Amino acid sequence: MIGYVPGRSPLHRAHPYTTLALAGALLLGAFALTQPLEVWLLVMAAAAFAAAGGVLRASARTALLLSLPIWVLLFVLHGLMGAEPRMVVGPVTLSVPGISRALVLGGRVTAIVLGFLTALATASPHRLVEAMTAGGVPFSRTFLLASTLTVLPRMRERATQILEAQQCRGLRLGGSPLARLRALGPLALPLVLGALAEVDEQVLALDARGAAGGARRTALDPPRDSAPQRALRWTVLALVVVAYAWKFWSMHR
Amino acid sequence: MTRLVTLEGATFTYPGADRPAIAGVSLELAAGDVLVVTGNAGAGASTLLLVATGFAPRVVGGTLTGTRRIDARRCGVVFARPWTQLTGLCPTVRDEIAFGPASQGLPAETVLGAAERAMALLRIAHLARREPTQLSGGELQRVVVAAVLAVEPEVLALDDPAAELDPEAADALYDVLPAIAAAGTAIIVATPDLERAARVATRALALAAGRVVAVGAPADVLSGTEVAAMARAAGCPPPYPLDVPALLRRVGQ
Amino acid sequence: MSGCEVRVTGARYAYGAEEALRGIDLDLAAGEQVALIGPNGAGKTTLTRLLVALRRPSAGRVTVGDWEVAGKRPDEMARRVGYAFQHADHQLFARSIERDVAFGPRCLGRAAAPVGEVLDELGLRPVAGLHPYDVPAPVRKLVALASVLVMEPRVLVLDEPTAGLDRAQRERVVAALRRRAAEGVTVLTVSHDLGFVAEVADRVVVMREGRIAADRPARELLYDREALAALGLRPPATAEVGIALGLRGSPVRTSEVVQAMSGIRWKQMPE
Repeated sequence: MIGYVPGRSPLHRAHPYTTLALAGALLLGAFALTQPLEVWLLVMAAAAFAAAGGVLRASARTALLLSLPIWVLLFVLHGLMGAEPRMVVGPVTLSVPGISRALVLGGRVTAIVLGFLTALATASPHRLVEAMTAGGVPFSRTFLLASTLTVLPRMRERATQILEAQQCRGLRLGGSPLARLRALGPLALPLVLGALAEVDEQVLALDARGAAGGARRTALDPPRDSAPQRALRWTVLALVVVAYAWKFWSMHR
Repeated sequence: MTRLVTLEGATFTYPGADRPAIAGVSLELAAGDVLVVTGNAGAGASTLLLVATGFAPRVVGGTLTGTRRIDARRCGVVFARPWTQLTGLCPTVRDEIAFGPASQGLPAETVLGAAERAMALLRIAHLARREPTQLSGGELQRVVVAAVLAVEPEVLALDDPAAELDPEAADALYDVLPAIAAAGTAIIVATPDLERAARVATRALALAAGRVVAVGAPADVLSGTEVAAMARAAGCPPPYPLDVPALLRRVGQ
Repeated sequence: MSGCEVRVTGARYAYGAEEALRGIDLDLAAGEQVALIGPNGAGKTTLTRLLVALRRPSAGRVTVGDWEVAGKRPDEMARRVGYAFQHADHQLFARSIERDVAFGPRCLGRAAAPVGEVLDELGLRPVAGLHPYDVPAPVRKLVALASVLVMEPRVLVLDEPTAGLDRAQRERVVAALRRRAAEGVTVLTVSHDLGFVAEVADRVVVMREGRIAADRPARELLYDREALAALGLRPPATAEVGIALGLRGSPVRTSEVVQAMSGIRWKQMPE
């Protein structure tokens, strides 16, 4: 699950800037925290964030899938090959500081990915554009951001269609690693080339509707902001600053 | 009638091309015209539309020589593929159509009024709350035309607008063009669909290899309709009847 | 090279809760030229996908010649069935049109393939060296068709092969299909373009709401204004002329209509 999922959760109804601020706080906070316990409290916070968006199960599953290769790498790099002291766990000896390091780094990745997926799932590109428009951000910038958000589902659909078309020309999927590598061109190239050709047309079409006009766009239905939400955004920002200050202070004690 | 577009000896070459796409083309477009441009693939019909509406070379690059005068405040263009002309950001048809006027920074009531008028003209008011991605090709194309009309262009160019539509939807689209022209818009349509074009054209222009080979009344220029071709092959003398009623009038005892 | 027969028996398919095919029985004899028409959402495209193993029916059976489609993958079915998709841009990727057309035979391990002949047939020789995206969209559609024809399939399935093409291009496609018909290839065309259907199909199958609603000779259905109106369609120009002039034999091809009109005396237009 990657991309916007319509819903009525508190996060869906919140102002998009609030959702993004919370996800941003998770991202920044992850790098400020250095102990396994702290990082995993942050992961729980990220899970709570996902639950508030009604997407905990789907985003947790996707986050785990995406971060699995990193976990494996961390485990091998730090857990198996890390420094003394070591402990015996069944058939393997693991480095204690190495495991701690792996938990911190892995936890950071998990928290960030979870936060990112939740934000993507609950901040509708349309509402984000309306919010940015109401805030006076030029359309070129809002469109760039919003298109990036909507590109994935479209690409996924196209990729399926391309896969089917190439299979019908005799392209066999699977097989040896070399065969799979050779299959990349016929699968990936139409995706990119087709997307570029469509972008050409879309640019013209949007220009024709005045998108590049330069006038300040009218937001027809700007998302409602509120004092508590603004307070929340400032609070999480302050928390991030505090976290960094704490990190800086404890590093230089 | 107000002359909106004048081209004299216009020659346009795309960036990097070794031959001009159109050469020495002259035409005039006035309010209320429905000018149909025909020609085989590569004859330059699509390019002529972009040049006549000012999108070439401004948006697509390339070089233009000859004289071009566009007295229209604003020009709109509609392409064959409906889905590449959507913003991809708007959750409802109404928002999609309102996108253009909203980009001009007009007040919200004006924007919504323009959207409503465009929907009424295209007879799609019942689709206002629907999601654009859920519509059929025919409905979507009418939404695109409405979205372009919402910015009230004085010149509307349509590049094979019914190419992807089923016959019923294609008929519905062409049937609405006279009403749009009657409201004061100048329409220029590039299409290989001579039958439908013949029903709505007030004037016609034929291109071959980028040059004008015929211009004038539809009956004279659009002689490539299937009925005309059959009549010609069966020995009918020119001018060839474009449709069945005209054919019947030419049949002797 | 002759065609295969195609048999669909009791086929059902659903997209989630929505039934797209509600028990389809369809037989195409080897070498038959059939058109499949019907409103959007009738299940036409879904049915064609069954023939190349892109979709597996939840019930029923599909065979192409002596092959059970159930036991095959799409790339295996490509050896017998050529499928031309409606949107060409989903498959073009090579550096040149010629290389792209040659891709299919290469996948199938065929050393000799009639790439040059097919390019000539569809008028693509002048652009053979160009990148597929350096030519207009209608030409890309012909390239996609060429890439299917060059695989010399015994069954051809075409989804809206003439959408967006100009008259000359349409005529090339008609000629290519007539050539394949003469060679005995079985052809199934999904199309809204009844003028094209009139030129290439002997039999027309109508689908509605996941079922086959009618299966009639082209000559009969294309003259049936009422039946076509129920589908939101009008008779093709050839049939309109035939109906208006009361031509005998219900000619549907342009050449047949012109032949039937040969006795007409024409009035001159006043100057």
